[in-house]
Amino acid sequence: MTRLTDLPPAQAKRLAELECPDFTTRPWVTGTALSQRRVAIVSSAGLVVRGEDPFRGRDADYRVIPSTTLPEELLVSHISINFDRTGFQEDWNVVFPLDRLQELAAEGAIGSVAQTHYSFMGPPTRCRWSRMHARSPAY
Amino acid sequence: MSALGHYLEEEGLATVAISLIRPQTENTKPPRALWVPFELGRPFGPPSAAAFQKRVVLAALRMLEGAEGPIIIKDFPDDDPRATQDPTWRPPFTPAAVSDSLAARLEAEILRLQGAHERWVAQHRRTTVGLSGLPIGDCARYVADWLRGKTPPSPREGFSAPLILRFAVDDVKAYCLEAAAAGAATPSSRQLGDWFWNESATGSAIHVLREVLQAGDDDRLKLIVANFMVPATRVRSTG
Repeated sequence: MTRLTDLPPAQAKRLAELECPDFTTRPWVTGTALSQRRVAIVSSAGLVVRGEDPFRGRDADYRVIPSTTLPEELLVSHISINFDRTGFQEDWNVVFPLDRLQELAAEGAIGSVAQTHYSFMGPPTRCRWSRMHARSPAY
Repeated sequence: MSALGHYLEEEGLATVAISLIRPQTENTKPPRALWVPFELGRPFGPPSAAAFQKRVVLAALRMLEGAEGPIIIKDFPDDDPRATQDPTWRPPFTPAAVSDSLAARLEAEILRLQGAHERWVAQHRRTTVGLSGLPIGDCARYVADWLRGKTPPSPREGFSAPLILRFAVDDVKAYCLEAAAAGAATPSSRQLGDWFWNESATGSAIHVLREVLQAGDDDRLKLIVANFMVPATRVRSTG
């Protein structure tokens, strides 16, 4: 089991103080009741659908994960090996809670589950986000 | 995740981040975040615990309905009940003859684990082996050949030899850990990690490979083996 406090002090300090963008804005979007919202997962765990190229490092792109993806098709290619993977190996919902979202949608707790989810390799920097934004047909 | 939340919210999409490293989240100041006390790599809590996971998901999503903000960090109150050890768990096999080379023991161990791994796949209907794109026997042979002092070329187009070595190591690790967790027991990640890194031939081989290749003169290879093979909490002291 590895928590931040279990890591060697230098490693823990590096993670805790990882470069963070210095945001000058404070965006805040509100909306309707949860029961009317569509929910998507955006993961920074380096998830890839089997058969796609795994992330190789701090790659400046992302992967698309359709809602039709099956548990046996999803792999973790995050560059950090300090993050436990045995939980994900047993149950993908530990990292990618698609089954839980589907249940919440069926119960009416959320409006619906998005058809497309996204995966990054760690958090993108402002520069990487801008490049992805410019390329993405979604915008 | 916190930076992503900021970017997405700027685009008009409401977000809530799951935070495993609270200091990072405090620095990044996302619109909303739920800090969870679980181990790194388990943002939604324990595996095979649907009710618990759903509580985490709902605790996060309900933050979207709050009127206060921006910059809210809430703490999930409960720890992972699967973080405790299962005393009924046993590793699935006995070690090979110590007279064999470590490379041979690694390959033999992967072969010996085949039955346990098949039970794992039948039990969970999935495997996370596959980053290298190679069959598991080829992964074991590729890692073992590096350990034998060879520098085998990459068998996969578009992947350098150091990169495919990294993914082959990921795959043999996943194979062993999945095989070791087959059955009714629910071992903690620490139990599985203790066995793999302290007792298994494959874990020993990766330790030794990391030390041997770090002494070489290929900077890219040294970078990969130093950072992407053995977790920081498992690196052996060379002092």
